[in-house]
Amino acid sequence: MIVHDKNLLNNLFLTQEADSLESGGFISKEQKKIIRNQLPSFKIQNNILVRLGFFLLGSFLYSSICSFISLIALSGAESFFKICCFLFAGVGIAGAEFLSNSKYYRHGLDDAFILGILLNVGGAVFILTEDFETGLTPAIFVAIASFLTYKRYLHLLSMLVFCLAGSAVLFFGLFEIGDIGKTILPFVAMLASAGFYFFTKQKIKNLKEVYYYNGLLLANSFCLILFYLSCNYLVVRELSAELLGIDVQPGQDIPFAYFFYAFTFIVPVVYLVQALKTKDRVMLWISFGAIAFTVFTIRFYYSVLPIEAALTIGGLVMFVIAYFSIQKLKNKESGLTFKPDRINHSTAILNAQALIVASTFGMKPEVKTESPMDFGGGGFSGGGSGESF
Amino acid sequence: MTQFDEQASQGLFEKNLITENQFQEIKEYRSLNIFSLNVELKLLLSISVLMFTSGIGILIYDNIDSIGHIALLAILFVLICGCFYYCFKNSKGFQKTETTTESHFLEYIVLTANVLTCIFIGYLQFQYEVFGTHYGLATLVPTIVSFFCAYYFDNKSVLTIAVTGLAAYVGLSVTPQDIFNSNNNFYDNQSLSYSAIMLGFLLILWTVYSFRINLKTHFALVYLTFALHIISIASISNMVSEDIIWLLFSLILAGSSVYFYKISHQLKAISLYIFMIVYAYIGINIFIFRIFEHIDFGDIWVLFIMILPVYFIGSIVLFIKLIKNFNKEIAE
Repeated sequence: MIVHDKNLLNNLFLTQEADSLESGGFISKEQKKIIRNQLPSFKIQNNILVRLGFFLLGSFLYSSICSFISLIALSGAESFFKICCFLFAGVGIAGAEFLSNSKYYRHGLDDAFILGILLNVGGAVFILTEDFETGLTPAIFVAIASFLTYKRYLHLLSMLVFCLAGSAVLFFGLFEIGDIGKTILPFVAMLASAGFYFFTKQKIKNLKEVYYYNGLLLANSFCLILFYLSCNYLVVRELSAELLGIDVQPGQDIPFAYFFYAFTFIVPVVYLVQALKTKDRVMLWISFGAIAFTVFTIRFYYSVLPIEAALTIGGLVMFVIAYFSIQKLKNKESGLTFKPDRINHSTAILNAQALIVASTFGMKPEVKTESPMDFGGGGFSGGGSGESF
Repeated sequence: MTQFDEQASQGLFEKNLITENQFQEIKEYRSLNIFSLNVELKLLLSISVLMFTSGIGILIYDNIDSIGHIALLAILFVLICGCFYYCFKNSKGFQKTETTTESHFLEYIVLTANVLTCIFIGYLQFQYEVFGTHYGLATLVPTIVSFFCAYYFDNKSVLTIAVTGLAAYVGLSVTPQDIFNSNNNFYDNQSLSYSAIMLGFLLILWTVYSFRINLKTHFALVYLTFALHIISIASISNMVSEDIIWLLFSLILAGSSVYFYKISHQLKAISLYIFMIVYAYIGINIFIFRIFEHIDFGDIWVLFIMILPVYFIGSIVLFIKLIKNFNKEIAE
């Protein structure tokens, strides 16, 4: 049920390979140009800024069409409010079909219309059912709609929406069961995400069509993240306070606290080791995120060290880790190495470094006693001027 | 996507788009099974530098009255000296062009040394008022140090610190998260707008001069990015002011857009190009709105909503054309 031409999808895959081969220096620039000219392609925007710009413009267009329709319809029927979201979703479908048929793919414009469909489907069901208590029905419908849009337009963001809506269905469904459902929520979420992880992994392994790869990979990574978060101590404790009203007194702890503590510590390490073993870059980044969140979890409940000491020592420790890793890896030619990969070397993150530095250390005028350090409004530079004036 | 990588180069080979030699070379390289941690480890280094210097900054600020000042200053000074010693020892010295170093750490040590120096000077000023009430000087000195480090060690991160320092000296806050917030109240403070535009103009002049004498031409993108954002934001904020002066700022925005249109083609910098278009588009919309603001909208708002989709379709077509042209021109 894919709307896109499969030849074009395969060509896209080949031209992407040509791009990475060219940046790796395996083929010349002229050759890449020839390949690009030989293989017909989509109207595609690879630059994220351009895509974002077109997404914004597409959203403007979408909402202006919707307001145009409302203008005409409002004067007519009273019941318009009930069906307006369906109409708007119809506009989205029409737009998405039109754009896909004119070979727009990952362009920004198509993103705007496809996400618009999902938003309006959710809104329509919400208004029809007046289900303000549970949110279960809208979640089910959004999940179905996003799965369909993914299947039809191969739209990655739809897959993300599907994952989110799917987990929402799971959560809201368990809420419906009552207190028992809420109590077993972490374990059910953990088991479900583990199950889906292996399911998607199996799917990827047996995959024949390359264009499904990214969507499955996204679902796979989502399962990894959900698995970690499902039994993270911080999440479990805050959610049990929120949902079950468990008020943890000093000296007490939530049930199964040791399990959750152990889970919080062990899972990131397992991810890290597994990622390095299987050379899985996405899992590696998820493990970094998980480690950071584990540190945050600990600091949320126990102030082990004052913040300044934690930052200084943490910085030193990380520097030492990075130093020894680089020293160990820098002369290796194969396998795990420090040398930039010729084929998949992404410089985007390194380019963003200057931006990060500027936002962390940028000097500000109003603090006259020059303090170049400002922690995004940490109340540090702000207090600086008080004493000297 | 291991099973597909081979398939892709195989596909290119089967369509006769790459030669057999190239295909073999790629196959050989893939069989090395390289998993590079280059980006990850570099990122870890920069985060460690950020954390360490932030920690030191808070440590010093919190303990300003408790630990002996002299002791603190001495420790900081020793640290700075150590960092700079490493930097000077490992760098190749000043070069007019982009330099590459053997050391993987130099970039980060330079950044550490520079930030620590800024903290040191700030601390001196705070505690001992070295620069007296010349608060500007207390901003200018770290800025000069940063510029020196940026040019000597060829470090873009330090250069951005230096430019934010320069902007702070004229009273602007140009860090990415602050540029829109109330620190820069262009709307109420017109002289700030003039100095912002002057600063942007000077930054542009400096890049022109740098190109002429071939001095660190790869820094131009940093300067131009700052200049584009400073000038555009200052002009746009003033275009909504009540004063007749908004016409002047419209002219400035138009002029800067034309300049950045040309320079982004020259430098093949798509980020400059996109932001130029975005600011120009916002500017044009405000301009149209200002022209029509005296018309009573009560009568024509229906027409207005009807025209809106057409207007957006028109803009989309225009943008697609602009981007296409740009991509075509930089590909040549």
